[in-house]
Parts: sequence; C-alpha cells; structure tokens
Amino acid sequence: MGKKTIRSIPQERTSIPTQDPAVRVGNFDEVTLGYREVDALNESERCLVCPNPECVPACPVNIDIPGFITRIAAKDFRGAYDILTDSTLLPAICGRVCPQEDQCEGVCPVGDKLKPVAIGRLERWVGDTAIHEHWDNTPYIEPNGLRVGIIGSGPAGMACAADMAKAGCDVTIYEALHKAGGVLRYGITEFRLPNGVLDAELENLTRLGVRIECNMLAGRLFTVEQMLDELGFDAVFIGTGAGYPSFMGIGGESLNGVLSANELLTRCNLMGATEFPKYDTPLGLGKRVAVIGSGNTAMDALRVSLRAGAEQVYCIYRRTREESPAREEEIEHAEEEGIQFEWLTLPVEILDDGENNVRAMRCVRMELGEPDDSGRRRPIPIEGSDFEFAIDTVVYAIGTNANPIIGQTSKIELNKWGYIQTDEHFATSMAGVYAGGDIVTGAATVILAMGTGREAARSMKAYLGIRDSETVYQAPQTGSDSKLFGIGLEERTFTRVRLG
Amino acid sequence: MSDTKYLFKRDQIWWVKVAVPRPLRDSLGCDLRRSLQTRDLKTAQTARQAVVEEFRSKIRQAREQRAAATACSTSVDPPPGTGYEVVTRKDFSDVTFLLEVSAPMLARAAQPGQFVIVISHQRGERVPLTIADFDRVAGTITLVIQAVGKSTREMQQRCQAGSRLYSVAGPMGFPSHLDTKKVVCVGGGLGVAPIFPQLRAFKQSGAYVIGVVGFRNRQLIFWEDRFRQYCDELIICTDDGSVGIKGRVTLGVEAALEKHPDVDRVVAIGPPIMMKACAETTRPYKVETIVSMNPIVVDGTGMCGGCRVIVGDETKFACVDGPEFDGHKVDFDDLMNRLGRFKQQESQAMDAWKTAAGAK
Ligand SMILES: Cc1cc2nc3c(=O)[nH]c(=O)nc-3n(C[C@H](O)[C@H](O)[C@H](O)COP(=O)(O)OP(=O)(O)OC[C@H]3O[C@@H](n4cnc5c(N)ncnc54)[C@H](O)[C@@H]3O)c2cc1C
Ligand code: FES
Repeated sequence: MGKKTIRSIPQERTSIPTQDPAVRVGNFDEVTLGYREVDALNESERCLVCPNPECVPACPVNIDIPGFITRIAAKDFRGAYDILTDSTLLPAICGRVCPQEDQCEGVCPVGDKLKPVAIGRLERWVGDTAIHEHWDNTPYIEPNGLRVGIIGSGPAGMACAADMAKAGCDVTIYEALHKAGGVLRYGITEFRLPNGVLDAELENLTRLGVRIECNMLAGRLFTVEQMLDELGFDAVFIGTGAGYPSFMGIGGESLNGVLSANELLTRCNLMGATEFPKYDTPLGLGKRVAVIGSGNTAMDALRVSLRAGAEQVYCIYRRTREESPAREEEIEHAEEEGIQFEWLTLPVEILDDGENNVRAMRCVRMELGEPDDSGRRRPIPIEGSDFEFAIDTVVYAIGTNANPIIGQTSKIELNKWGYIQTDEHFATSMAGVYAGGDIVTGAATVILAMGTGREAARSMKAYLGIRDSETVYQAPQTGSDSKLFGIGLEERTFTRVRLG
Repeated sequence: MSDTKYLFKRDQIWWVKVAVPRPLRDSLGCDLRRSLQTRDLKTAQTARQAVVEEFRSKIRQAREQRAAATACSTSVDPPPGTGYEVVTRKDFSDVTFLLEVSAPMLARAAQPGQFVIVISHQRGERVPLTIADFDRVAGTITLVIQAVGKSTREMQQRCQAGSRLYSVAGPMGFPSHLDTKKVVCVGGGLGVAPIFPQLRAFKQSGAYVIGVVGFRNRQLIFWEDRFRQYCDELIICTDDGSVGIKGRVTLGVEAALEKHPDVDRVVAIGPPIMMKACAETTRPYKVETIVSMNPIVVDGTGMCGGCRVIVGDETKFACVDGPEFDGHKVDFDDLMNRLGRFKQQESQAMDAWKTAAGAK
C-alpha cells in the first residue's frame, strides 16, 4: 500500500445519518444515528496516520487515535476497541459528547485542506459495535485486599473506579441519587446519549467487580473522615461534580415558571416527567420558553423543552454565536429543530402576570466592545434598547458551582470558590483522599472529568503502593521481534491481554 | 486473516453464532446458532449473511416484545432484593400515618432537623420527609406522613408493614443547633412529628424545654406521652378547644413567652402559614426563631435549585443550606407561592390516579 496523501484519501468527510428535524422534535430518540460499517471503513481511510500525530496530545486522555483508526481500516474492529479502552473507559459516550472540534479533530492536519477526519464518529462506532457484540476487556484481576471508596458516579468517579478495580482494589461507588451516571444520567439528554449506552458502559464497571451503591449521600450519611476511619477504606476519591446552579439575581427570579436547566433536565431525564402523569414527577413547562445561556447545558434544555411540548423556544445569550461555548454540532442541531436564537441579548428583569407566574422578560440588546480577560469581546448594553419579550417559562443555564456537601461536612481544603483544592496529582489536603472531575476543575467536559479521574487513580496507586502495569511493562525492548507468551511486546500493557 | 465473523467450526462443519444481548437471554438463550452444513469456508461466508440477518431480526423482535411488556406492566415495585423495608405502620388519623423504615446507616447518621427523600416506587417522585425519629439500635427511621397529594395518598395505600420503598436517601440538610438554655418547640399540623426529635435533643442537651403542639381536635392527638416525657412544660392547642388552649399554636407560643421572658429560642415546624404566624408572634419579643423550610425539592443535593428560598436578601437552597433558617428573615409569601407551582399538575395527577384506581 502506498503512502496516503491528502490527495489520495477520500475527500469528503463521510456523512452521518441523522433523524429528520421535523420528526425528531416529536420524539426523544437519538438524533445522530451513527455510522454503518461501510461508513466507518470509508472514513478510516481518510486518516493519514501521521508519524508524529498531533491529535494524540490534543486528546485529554491521549487515545492512540491513528492506532485505532488503522485497526478499523484493517477490519480489526476488536483491535480498535482494545486500543480505545487502553485510554478511555467510555468510548461510546465520549464519541458522542466530546467537543472533538476543540480537541483531536481541531488539530487534525487533514482539516487544513479538507474537513478533518471524523475521529469522534469513528470512536462512537467502535464503542457501539463493542456494546452490540458484547465485547468486554475485563482483564484478569488479582485482588490486593485494598479498599477504595468513590463518591459520585459521574465520569470522574467511573474512571477512577475502573482503574482502581483493574489494579486489584475492592471498589465501592456511593451515589446520592437513585441512579448512577452523574450528569450522563440526569443532565445530558436521551436523544444525545441514550440511557442504554450509559447502562452498557456502567455494566463494564460492574464486570470489573465495582459495586455501585445508590441513595448514599456521602458527607451526610458518613463523612469522608469516617470512610477512612470507620468504614475501612484505604483511599477515597471525590467526584461529586459541580451542579449547584447559578441565577442572575435579577427581579422576578422566584416567580413560578423560573427554573434552572438542571432542574428541567433532571425532571425529564432522571424522573420521567415528560411522561407525567404516568410518572409522578410533574414538569409544568409553558408554551413559550426562554433559555438563558448558550453552553451545552443550554442546548440540552432548549431541545428538551421543544420535545416536551413548548411551541416557541428561544435561546437568550449576551454574546454572539462565535463566543457560544456549546459544541458546534449542538447549535446546528438546535437551529435545524427551530430553536430561535436571540444573540447579543441580556435579560434584565422577569415580569409577572399578577398571579406570580412569568408573563414576560425585559431584555436589552448588546454590542461587542473590547476583549476582556478571557480574550472574548466584552458585551456592552446598548442604551435605550430595552424591549419586552412575551414568554411563560425562563430556564437558567448560565453556569454552575461546586456541590457543597463534602465541603460542609469534612475538613478537606477548598479554594475560595468552594471547589476542592488539590495538587497537580489530584491529591487533596487529606492523606489518602483524592478528587477529580468538575468538583476540582469547575464545570468542564466528560473527557476531562474522566482524565482527572484516571490521573487521580494513578496517584492513588502510588499512595497505596500499587505498581502500575503500565510502568512495569513499558518495555524498552520495543522493536525486537520477541514475543512473550505469544503477546507482541509492542502491546504496551498487559491489560489488553484477553484470557479464555 | 480470513473473515470468520459470526462463524465457528464444530467437527469440521461451519456454524453461525450471534450473541444475544444480556437482557434478552432469558427468552433467547446466550446466543443463536445454526449449522451451515458445509466444510468449505467460502460457502459458509456466502451463506452467513442471510442467517445473521434472520437472527438479528429475531433479536429485534424479542427486544420489542420485551419493551412492550415492560411498558404496560403495572408493577412498579422495587426489584426483588432492593429497596427499604417498612417495618411498622401506624395510622394516627385518616390522613396522618407513621412508617418505620429499615435503613441502618441512615438511622446511625440521622440528626434532629434533617430530612430524607423517599421514592415509593419506580415511577414515583422524590418526596422530602423530615425524619420524625430514629432508632440507632434497631436501625430504623420514622417518618410521619400526611396524605395530601397523589404521591402521599398512594403511599398511604401501598405502604403496609413488609412492603418496600424504592428509595430512601439522606440524611439531608444541616442538623439543628442545640446550644440553648430555654427553648420553645412548636409543632403544628404535619410539623408535630418532626419537632419531636429536636425537642428530645434539646432536653438531652440540658435545656429547659417547653413544647407547644397543635391539633384539630382531641381525636387527632398523637405522641402526647412521648412529648410529656421530654418536655418540662407541654402546651396543647386544639382548634375546637377539646383539649388545652382553644385556638392556634401562636396562642401557646405567646403564653410561653409571657411566662418565661428568658426563653432564648423558638423552633417552629409546620405548614408555612403556621411558621409565618409563629415568626410574627415572636418578633416583638425579639427571640431568635428558627423555622424548617419545606419547599418543593428534586434531588436534595444542591444540584437543581428547585428548593430555593429567600432569606433576608439572599437566595438559599433549602436542601443544602438549610432546611432551618431564621424565621424573622424568611420570605414566607414567596415560599407559599412557590409551593403552589404545580397545583394544576397535582390535581391532574390525583384525577388520573383516582380514575386508574377506580378502573381496578
Ligand atoms: C446538561 C449538560 C450537558 C453537558 N454536555 C456535555 C457535552 O456534550 N460534552 C461534554 O464533554 N461535557 C458535557 N457536560 C459536562 C459534563 O457532563 C461534566 O463535565 C461531567 O459530567 C463532570 O463529571 P463529574 O464526574 O465530575 O461529575 P458529575 O457527572 O456531575 O457526577 C457527580 C455525581 O456525584 C453525585 N454526588 C454529588 N454529591 C454527592 C454526595 N455527597 N454523595 C454521593 N454522591 C454525590 C451526583 O449525584 C452525581 O451523580 C454537560 C453538562 C451538563 C450539565
Ligand atoms: S432540591 Fe435540588 S437543589 Fe435543593
């Protein structure tokens, strides 16, 4: 096979089928339908397999991207899955929700001339195939008698749990809600991330021997200190997330019809409110909904509102589409579905109908001025541009803060915003206690949460005196053709060895 | 490498095998397999596709059947071996009932002033309930529930001794502060039971405790003996005057404050209107007044803001910042208004439930 060049590869990015916008606004089924095998094979041909790939360091968990794509191209799908699971626990999830355009795909050299390789879609396809085929990479685990307690079952907790379980620890995850998954369960919507996919990935955890105990409010039910002293854990990981929603502090916020995006999403995703009264939890959404903010959370809130029966759904954001923090794909999908975007608009007051319900919102128009600290141009209100906007529901999606319970109940050091203070290895101020995910970094992404969870697991292993297979086996003999028990030494770790 | 996807060989003969997704294995077995009756790989490879397709459609069918079955199954009980067992059930009136629930860890951790969130069945909503008592030895917590809405009415019907609740999580909120010398504990309506563990804790911490409890009439009085055991003085108020003071608990509070000018705290739990009245009663006496907020909650972990209340000029989340706040600063009108947020949905749920119950 000759060397691939930008000219010899398929020029068009393989398109991915999606549900028709007109149809999908009436259901909660997944919007992006995923590649078929032929699509994946075709797209895998587009990877130039750069000798010094830029995409690998751009991935927060450093997936060997050219490696897994080459295996797809060679039709060794199982091999592709093995490479993915060396770095990520949740390929089917990350393939769906990662902001690839800012990470791997953003630096892909193919993207200089053409559209970049659809790395996320390929990752998702491999992840989905693995679920469909029931592949699992459960390694042989030698129990080491150490016990690890994990607080929070979001991606950070899941990643840390998986690594510690693979290292031989007896791992228990405590989750406050009645279902596991964190934001993946209660926040990100069914049509972006079906619950079945999450369940499958959670089952992989159970297969590693991780116990997941729901309805357990750590901090209040037992403190972190008690986990170490009384419950017999040798180390603890905190991944409680940053869900505490912010409001703006403008007039009218306590009117009925004003709620946070997290409340809306939790009611729908976790509690089944869209099927009220079959499910007991009500939703109480109006017909004209305004969502304030323009991040991923806002996009989910907008699109859920539409599916839950709102007739007009508006996105209110004080900057422009360019500054919007949501993933490009989400904004596109929202636009296709008929969400109306009011860029450069700032709400200043929520007005009532005389009976404590929302009647309208007063907004001002903005213009962009000089760049601020974040490098984005600062929005400035245009004088005299006030206008009233008739709506009956206001949803806040302007950001969240640290979940406070662990901070309230333990002596672990927090920073001034209430997030858990850690060193660069995610160790907290308390010996044996590590933290990761949004509760350390502030609201971020699934993949970053996972990355920090894994990094914390690494330092936890060092603390517990567990030698990491990666450090033990990272053999200097690479290149030699010797095989050990029939396993090529170029296989970086032994976790990939399948027994039986 | 030759392509043997879905193929395997037994006694030289090629077979097709397709794995069955876990949830369907009860009905279909671990995998579907069939002999292709050939020894030649090429022939097997060509014959494979049709068989795989057939198996896939079989799996699809089974999945749809299963989905349909779960959709219309009426049982929403917790899956076997899970949930929290109701060990005792007692009825105080036709709307008020008590459940003692087995939850050993909760019983060990619970402190006066805290609450739990209960989901009674798999399609249920998250209902916040103040912990009315706990028994650390027996490993149980006690909940006293007023059947007012659909969820609580349904609990009244379903929750007999031996039944199981789908989820009980907690203890949520800050425990009460017990640093006081002379305290008036006020419980009215659904607040009578939750004030009890606090009152007992105050007594045990050495305070002089005056209890004020309100009921509609003599028949509805419960736990009088328990209150007497831990109160230095107990004032009972009834709407009809059949026992104690005739009138609202505020009369009892006033009487207590007149008699004891050195009371340093009043704690009131009950419906918002009653807590508001108590706060107004104590305001002229300038006595610190603590009330326990009971807004609508969802998660109870500080993640949704549905429970937000206005205290002074701050917005607080009752589930993680409370539930107890300074009664002189709380905006009760806001609380009452927000409690009415789902009025329409509540009656809709109630109607649907009654119709369903009638149909049965
Ligand atoms: C609506 C929405 C959409 C998003 N979309 C994307 C996206 O498209 N792509 C992307 O990359 N990121 C997205 N994010 C961000 C991403 O989901 C988060 O960064 C990530 O989930 C953080 O993971 P985590 O493990 O730190 O915390 P979380 O996922 O928040 O999990 C924390 C868990 O801990 C539990 N918990 C909290 N306190 C306690 C306690 N005291 N005891 C026990 N358990 C406790 C919580 O109930 C929760 O289950 C989105 C976020 C939201 C809200
Ligand atoms: S109930 Fe959700 S934040 Fe309090």
